[in-house]
Order: sequence, then C-alpha cells, then structure tokens
Amino acid sequence: MPSPRSLRRQNPITLVLAGILCIGFFIFIFSSNDATAASSGQAAGRTSSSVLSPPSMPFRKSRANELHSAPPVEHYFMNNVTQSRNPAENKEKVLILTPLARFYQAYWDNLNKIAYPHDLISLGFIIPKTKEGNQAYADLQKQVTKTQSGPKAKRFASITILRQDTENPLMSQNEAERHKMEHQKARRGAMAKARNSLLFTTLGPTTSWVLWLDADIVEFPPTLIQDLADYDAPIVAPNCFQRYYNNEKKAMDVRPYDYNNWIDSSTAKEMAAKMGKDDILLEGYVEMPTYRTLMAMMHDPSADPGTKIKLDGVGGAALLVKADVHRDGAMFPPFPFYHLIETEGFAKMAKRLNWDSYGLPNYLVYHYNE
Amino acid sequence: MQAPLRLHLSAALKDDSSWTHDANCHCHCRFQPRSQPALRRRRQLIQRLLLFGSILLTGFFFFFPDLRPDLGSGPLSYLASTDDSKLETVRYYDLSNVQGTARGWEREERILLCAPLRDAAPHLPMFFGHLKNLTYPHNLIDLAFLVGDSKDNTLELLNSKLEALQADPEARNQFGEISILEKDFGQKVNQDVESRHGFAAQAGRRKSMAQARNWLLSAALRPTHSWVYWRDVDVETAPFTILEDLMRHNKDVIVPNVWRPLPDWLGGEQPYDLNSWQESETALALADTLDEDAVIVEGYAEYATWRPHLAYLRDPYGDPDMEMEIDGVGGVSILAKAKVFRQGVHFPAFSFEKHAETEGFGKMAKRMKFSVVGLPHYTIWHLYEPSVDDIRHMEEMEKERKAKEAEEAAKQQKEDKIKEQFDNKGSDWEKEKAAVQDLVQKAKNEEKEEAKKREEDKKAKEAAKEEPKEEAEAEKAKEEKAQEAAKEELKVEAKADKAKVEKAQEAAKKDTADAKKHVEKREEIHEAWGVDERGKAVPKQPEVPDSA
Repeated sequence: MPSPRSLRRQNPITLVLAGILCIGFFIFIFSSNDATAASSGQAAGRTSSSVLSPPSMPFRKSRANELHSAPPVEHYFMNNVTQSRNPAENKEKVLILTPLARFYQAYWDNLNKIAYPHDLISLGFIIPKTKEGNQAYADLQKQVTKTQSGPKAKRFASITILRQDTENPLMSQNEAERHKMEHQKARRGAMAKARNSLLFTTLGPTTSWVLWLDADIVEFPPTLIQDLADYDAPIVAPNCFQRYYNNEKKAMDVRPYDYNNWIDSSTAKEMAAKMGKDDILLEGYVEMPTYRTLMAMMHDPSADPGTKIKLDGVGGAALLVKADVHRDGAMFPPFPFYHLIETEGFAKMAKRLNWDSYGLPNYLVYHYNE
Repeated sequence: MQAPLRLHLSAALKDDSSWTHDANCHCHCRFQPRSQPALRRRRQLIQRLLLFGSILLTGFFFFFPDLRPDLGSGPLSYLASTDDSKLETVRYYDLSNVQGTARGWEREERILLCAPLRDAAPHLPMFFGHLKNLTYPHNLIDLAFLVGDSKDNTLELLNSKLEALQADPEARNQFGEISILEKDFGQKVNQDVESRHGFAAQAGRRKSMAQARNWLLSAALRPTHSWVYWRDVDVETAPFTILEDLMRHNKDVIVPNVWRPLPDWLGGEQPYDLNSWQESETALALADTLDEDAVIVEGYAEYATWRPHLAYLRDPYGDPDMEMEIDGVGGVSILAKAKVFRQGVHFPAFSFEKHAETEGFGKMAKRMKFSVVGLPHYTIWHLYEPSVDDIRHMEEMEKERKAKEAEEAAKQQKEDKIKEQFDNKGSDWEKEKAAVQDLVQKAKNEEKEEAKKREEDKKAKEAAKEEPKEEAEAEKAKEEKAQEAAKEELKVEAKADKAKVEKAQEAAKKDTADAKKHVEKREEIHEAWGVDERGKAVPKQPEVPDSA
C-alpha cells in the first residue's frame, strides 16, 4: 500500500506545517475581513440589532434559538447629522430614492458605478402595483440580490423596496399618453403621493442627503453625489437631457428633456393669479405659454460647467436635497400648491420654508430614449 | 485566482497518473525498487508546488478580502468568524398592508406614538403612567421622542424611564421600537405658560413647534406603521382605551375633546384645546385680508373668527361616539392613519392657508381629501398649569385667607381672654375642690355651653326681627357693589363670610321656623354675590327676588 507507506515516510514536521497552513488558509478564506469591515461599519453608522429600526440601516437577524429581548432604547443625535461640501469625508449618509415604474439595466449599472462609498448609500424604491410594476419588481429584485451578495465594497448599506398603496390613475405609462396635458394633474398628483410615501418611510434619523433619481435616468457621472454636494445648495438639480439619433446631422446628438426646471416669469404669475384654486400651471405645453426661463434651454457646452443658477421650479429627474429640507416639511404637494404640483410645488414649498433651489445648466444627466 | 488553481489541477493530474502507473507496477514490478526514488523526488516537487500555491492563495485573499468566496447562508456560513451573513440589508414592504382599519389591534397594526418634548421632566412620570396603562398591545406601539433645547433633565429622566419600561420581564409590557431623537433648534421662545400663550409669540412659536413635529415624524415613520398617534406629555387624565376608542371610528384624522380642570374659584373646568374647529365664513374672509405669512391663531381676541369650536360643544352626558367634521385640529391627542403622513400631510412650519402647525395640518389633510373628525363628547383632561394671572390671584386669595385666619385668631384670643376673666372667679373655687375636679368641670362646661346657646338664641331672634331692614341693606350693598365692585369686593366677601359663620352656628342649633326662613334667604343673597364676585355681574341679579 503506497499511501500509508508514503505517509509513514513523511517527515512529521512537514505534516505539521501543512496542517498549520491548511488551518490558516481555511481561516482566511472563510472569514471576512474583520478589520476593514468593522472600521468602515463603525464610521458609516451602526447596524441595528432589531428589525424594528430605520430602513436606512442594515440590521442583524436574530438567530432562531436566541432569547426574545426587548427592543432597545435607541438614541439618535440629529445635531450631528451634517450636510457639508465633502460628504464622503464626513461620512454623510446618502439616501437615493427612485420611483420605479420600469427597470432599466443601464440605470442599475450606473448606480453600481457611483463613486461615493457604497456603505454610506441607502436605496429606496417604490413600485406601483401594476403588471409593469410587477415586472420591474422582479427585475430589480434579481439585480439587488446579485449586488448585495457580490463584492463587499459594492454592496449598499441598505435597500428598501416598497409596493405602492395608491393607485396610478393611468394604466398606460407610454410616453405620449403620459404627457397629455389633461392627464397631468392626476398623474403628477399620484406621482407626488408615491414620492412622499417613499420619502417619509425611508428618511430615518441618520440621512444627510436625499438624491432623487428617476429610474429612466440611464446615464450620469459616477461622481454625481460629490459634484452636486460641492455646491452646498439646499436643493440642486442638474440639467436632464436625452441622447437621440439626429437625422439631419446623421449622428447621435443630445436634446433637452426635463422642462420642469425653470425661473418664474411675470406672465406665469399673472396666469396663476387669474386661475381657480385647483388649477395648475404646466411647463412645456404649447397651449399654456408661460414664458418662464427654462434651464433646459440654458445649456451651453462651451460655458463654465460649474455655472449655478437659482430656480423657482425643479424637476425630479435628478435632484440632490439636503435632508433637513425634507425634515422641515418640504414635500411634493399632490394638490395644487400655488398652482404648482409635485416637484415644482416642492420647490415652492421649500421656498416657503426659506430653502432655495438651484440648477446646473451645464451639468448633464441623460434620460432614456423610448 | 485562476492561475494557481490551474497549477494545482495539473499537479494533481500528474500526481494521479504517476499513482496509476505505480499501482499498475505494484504487483508486476515488485523487484524494481528504482522507480520509488523517482516518484519520491517527484512527490517532493508536488508538495512544494502545493505549498507554494497555498501560500500564494492565502496571500492573495489576505490582500484582496473582497474576492473571498461567499459561502451564502448555508451551513458553511457557520465557519465564518463574523455573522456577516446575518446582516440583513434588503427590506420589502407592501404599503397596502398598512392602511389602518377600525380594529387594528386584531390585525396587529403598528402605531407610532410621537411626543415632542422640551423641559418636560415634571410631566414625565405622569406620562409614563399613562403609557403603561394603555390597553393597546404594547409590542405594537413604537415610541418616538424628540428632545430639543431642554434645560432640565428631561433627557436623562426619559432615558431611565424608557430603560425601566423595556426591562419589564413581561414581554407583553415591552414596547416596540423606541427612538429618542436629540435635536436643538435653538429656539428663543420661552416655554413657560405666559410666553407660550401670549398672542404676539404665537405665530413664531407655532412654526417652530411645527418644525419639531416634522423632524420627529420624518425620522420615526416606518413602512410598517398603520397609525400615528400624537400625544402631549401634559395630559392629566385620559381613558386607557383611548387608542382603540379613536381607532374604532376608522377616520383618517381624529381628535377627542380636550378640557382642563380648574380650581373651584375659577369654575371647576374649562375648554382647553381651542385649535379644533370648523371653518367659518368670517374666518375665510379674514384669511383673505391677511398677508401671505400671517397665521391665524384661535382663542385670541385679536382674531375673532366665530368658528364653532369642538371644545365648546361638549356635553358631559352626550354620546361619546358622536362625530363632528372639523377643519383645524389641536395637537394634544391626534390619532391619524399613517397613510395621511406618508402621502405628505405634515405640520406646516409656514403659513398654509393662513394656519400653521396642527391647525395647518388639519387644513392640509382636508385639502388632500382626508376625513378630519373631532369627538365633542369624548373628553380627555389636560393638566392645569396656573397662569401668571392665576398665580397672582391665588396669592391674593392666600393673603386674604391668612388675613382672615389672623383675624379669627385674634378674635379667638379675645374670646379666650374673656373666658379666662370669667374663669378666674371659678378657678379659686376649683383649687379648693381638686379631688372632684373632673366631674365638676364637665358639669360646668355643659352649663357654660347651654348658657352660650341661650345667649345666641336671643341674638338670633333679635336678628330675625331686623330681617326686613337687613334685606334692604343687602339690596343697597348690591347696588353699591355694582358701582364699585372691585373696591367693595373684599368688604363684601368679609361680610358674606361673617353671615356664613352665623348661619352655620344657627343651623346647628336648630332655630325657630322664622329664623330658618331668614337664613335661607340670606344664603341666596350670598350666592348671588358670589357670582358677582367672579365678574359675571348684572344678569344674574334678577334671580334673587324671584326665588325669594
């Protein structure tokens, strides 16, 4: 029998060494990196010990055989929740909120590429209970599972996925139908309710920034959070464009997409003054010329990319908001608020609470082209 | 990772083939020992290769921890030194499960109980008493407190009280998630009763209160909550079943009536929360005249709104389930479905339709077509904190009481002195009869009392004769009082008191029918005066002659 003989002949020291190596190998391969995980975890905030905790935090499942213990008394020092120009350095938590009607892989890929430390990022999604929503839910779930079991540095701190309780008044979400003027009030009202539901259930006590990012924004710079935070504005919106194939130029080109970022005009104010209490002003419709200054039209590729302008109405495509603005009560009005609704009304409500909105005409994010 | 693995694999294969060769040769080549050293030499090479490979892999995983294989949640995960796999990062919720129904306790609906606190330490013990007594399942109640700008020990006390609450060994006495949020807004408004309720301070104060409420709610609301209950800590009396009672109505926003007890001299009780009201035309017209940032506050003479208030509609014997549609709500005790807050209704910290905080909340809820309801006959009682005026008045009363006591003491002394003088004669006699002192004294005391009684009877009869005269006098006094009520108050009260003392004595002695009638009449007059003293004055007066 060769193997026993060979073992017998083996130097015992070699065996011991091999054993030690084996154990060492085992430990290294199976243990996660304690040191780095612990330090980053502590810096980013704690993990909760109970399922009863803010959704913006991960929590530890209790083992089945563990004794039931009372939920702890948690202290949150909200004086320490800062919003600075260097959010990553100050370990400020960012909550990315997305009302999701359709899932685009490009959106998720970009999200994964975000250069902000992922253990400081929480994601929140709200998905309507429609056939389309179910599909988006399934797609999202697949990707979430993949990312959260993938490499540690790419995992997000926590992800909350909500199913919407309010009905969407329009079953069809196709572009043309969606943008019809008479449907706008109902559609955007429902949208506002979805946004509010998402916001107020996920904000929690530790979030510093809220980044609103629509699911159909399929291209944005990985440094989006840092770039926008650097302006130190309570509310800041980049310009939302769309890539398309320009038949005239026979080449890919960009065109403005989101018209909800604007500076108010006297015409619009006059129109508003004449309106009934429940009427709303809309932007981007020929039937309703408001002559507002649109940020979408102010884009100038040759100008300073850091230009910042003050806005009176904002769109929700991409929007970085200091959490304090929302905490003070600024929400997306689902009813006509000064004849404005949803994100535009949000800018107005923030204004009433003494928070200003800003726009970046030369900083672009791109909308999906249907 | 790939390269070393392949190395291993090829090494293993080589190894394997050499073994088969060896096995094949084993029986046939028994007399060819030369093959052994070659094999051994090769084995050493294999061993070295293996060693090298494992060192390489170990080093690799050491420097790139992220690339370590994930063992998932299977049994292998128990080998992991941290329970990283126990870390849950994804949560799924369906908001249609947390709509809130009339019988929430049966469907295990969670309630978020919110209480903003500032310098509230004195009220905390009472508040926790209420908490413990709530009949709604405690594990379904999540507590959230916002402590800000407190100068007393609110935070420490709150923490110790909560720890004690959760340390209860009975699982059913433990509450759910408990969050204490610490946030200082740096408000300059004082929290004492006077500055809190002064008209000028109202708009600013209510806006900052609204801000605190919004911070509390936005930090504590979870996707699991079906209901949100706002409760002030200074509620003195409330039914233990208040959550179920309010929930049963299945309204989006519902408030009970809030009154407060008062000392007897102020009338015994009083409507407290005047922020629950129905909108009136007058108020809407008023709102149109005010500028954008103005805030209408209810319960102040500066804004006469003529709104029907929930508080004034209370009937102590009315049906507690009666509902009333309202537009503004008070913040003492609000039960609202969580969906109201989820969909964006909050406490405006700006002037929303000319209202702020809880009143603005009611307005906004209405604007979003939620039902807002008050229960006029279901009452909870707010703590009575005397205002500065009340304290002043109480001090005055205290002074009066002391003066009266001093007067009475002086009178007593005088009487005692007189008695002593009378007794002096007897005492000589007493000294001589020391042996039977007790008996004698008893007899004597009885005698003395009888004598006193007789004397007073006589006095009373005299008084009865003087009755008409006195009534006229009383009438006159009343007129005088109407003219200079304030000045006369003290005198009148003293007079009334004297009359009361006399009355008591007389009644005790069971006087004649005449005397009794006279006493009754007097009492009525006194009561009328009492009403006058409270400042309600003239209209009550005609009643006196009627009843007389």
